[in-house]
Amino acid sequence: MTKYEPEMQKSAFPKLTEPNGLDTGPIPIEPYISPEWFEKEREQIFGRAWLCMGRIEQLPEPDTYIVKEIEVRGVIALITRDKADKVRAFHNVCSHRANMIVQDSAGKGSRFVCKYHNWAYRNDGDCIGVPDRANFFNLDIKKCGLTPIVCDVWEGWIFINLQKVPEVSLKEFLGPFGEAFTNAPAPSAEHAFNVNVSTMKANWKTTIDAFCESYHVPVLHPDTVGATFANDSNPYSRPLSGHARGAHRTMTTFGNPDYVPPEHALVERLAYSNLDLGNTLGANDAKEIQALLDHPAINPRRVPNWATEIAWIFPNFLIFYSPGGFFTLEFWPLSVNSTRWVARMHIPKAKDVRQRFQQEHHNCRMAEIFLEDVGNLERQQRAMESGAKTEIVLQDGEFMLRHSIETIRKWVAAKTVREALA
Amino acid sequence: MTMTAPESSLPRDFADLEPFVAYWAGETNDIRWDRRSRAPMEQIRRFYDAMLPRADEALTYLEQFPLGEAPADATRLLCLLLSLPHAAMAVEFHRQPRAAASPFPHGMNVAKGPWPQGW
Ligand code: FES
Ligand SMILES: [Fe+2]
Repeated sequence: MTKYEPEMQKSAFPKLTEPNGLDTGPIPIEPYISPEWFEKEREQIFGRAWLCMGRIEQLPEPDTYIVKEIEVRGVIALITRDKADKVRAFHNVCSHRANMIVQDSAGKGSRFVCKYHNWAYRNDGDCIGVPDRANFFNLDIKKCGLTPIVCDVWEGWIFINLQKVPEVSLKEFLGPFGEAFTNAPAPSAEHAFNVNVSTMKANWKTTIDAFCESYHVPVLHPDTVGATFANDSNPYSRPLSGHARGAHRTMTTFGNPDYVPPEHALVERLAYSNLDLGNTLGANDAKEIQALLDHPAINPRRVPNWATEIAWIFPNFLIFYSPGGFFTLEFWPLSVNSTRWVARMHIPKAKDVRQRFQQEHHNCRMAEIFLEDVGNLERQQRAMESGAKTEIVLQDGEFMLRHSIETIRKWVAAKTVREALA
Repeated sequence: MTMTAPESSLPRDFADLEPFVAYWAGETNDIRWDRRSRAPMEQIRRFYDAMLPRADEALTYLEQFPLGEAPADATRLLCLLLSLPHAAMAVEFHRQPRAAASPFPHGMNVAKGPWPQGW
């Protein structure tokens, strides 16, 4: 069992902004609304940073593949796992007349055939078939392979880098975050239900920011989740710890230990009647959960009443660890004021019908919460674009947003990635 | 020849819930969510009030089958039962069909899972 510190006192909420080396002034709105700024992010951030594509379990066996679109770079990445379990990434573009090859988003297969003129490729990228090859002009099939994208895997997380030759390795990019989160478990990584938001009208930073502070939770989500994130001892849902970790950052949020479904919430009560309340994801592999609870970087202060450890991998990927498991959110800019995002809620395969019922309750609650955020963020974006304000102000509990925007400004200005990471 | 009453599509003990099947026994999480989002509050409430008192009995009935291997009538009952949490969002949380000030229609969907009767 994990040993916890005694119950934290109100006065013991740690300071986060200044101890993490951040200043306390207002933040310019320009990066959230300016098309010129967005063009700089497109090049300097999404063109240079390692980008997390998700878990290795999305390629569940040899000879499987996924297709991931990175609209902000106009890239469609085909990520494959071969017989020897090597993971590779390619541009999903045919070497004949540059058509798109794979048209679905995931599947099984060791070879890909372009549906235009049947050129064929193996999942290691080699071109293995050109119909009526004799009618081409000195075609060197060895040079007709798929165009590779640099790809690496860290602790089961797949990353790509869209620089032809990345300036820094994935290890250097992850820096102190990678060190702190080595061996972090990923329970039920093979199972997930996805919530997709195909497009919403807000800047990607406006959007991701809303998932990285708990200050808004009691206000915006009072009925769906507010009461589980605040109570009289912490009415404003102040964070319990927070760390800047290189270009990345993590924060522990508060969970109300006294939460029970209200009297009138009969279905919620039925759904949770056979579960610990801290464990909203339902029964998970006990050993993996224990490893998660024991991990030194997850709830690092060992406070008993924590709800989530939010890990924000620069620039656009979030992992939420909780006492019940983990889920991820990824945010992909489509334009300066539109974003696509994907939530992958990792849950165990239900063992029985009562657990399945509880999962449905959990899922539709999450979808409701997300939808509350969508409406809110589209309003915020319009208000930001009105020009009424040129700055926003942030409180201590919003330190992750400040660290994010400072990191983004650094990357936009820096000539080299190493300089941005310094 | 004797005329028989049209058969219930649900297990016999739950035949009284038949009027709710067409709308509320959606086959995936996404369909169930979408149907609830489009329904007026009175319709959500009628389903909630009819299903809630039978929910524990339905869970107990369904426990006799391995998950994902129930016969068609029991699977239909499971789909109906799984709409109850969706209805509860409206009844227990929002007190209206959808969250206040959340957009509808919207670009959000539940794309996959959980299993069974998720995707
Ligand atoms: S473009 Fe792919 S085969 Fe012609
Ligand atoms: Fe929110």
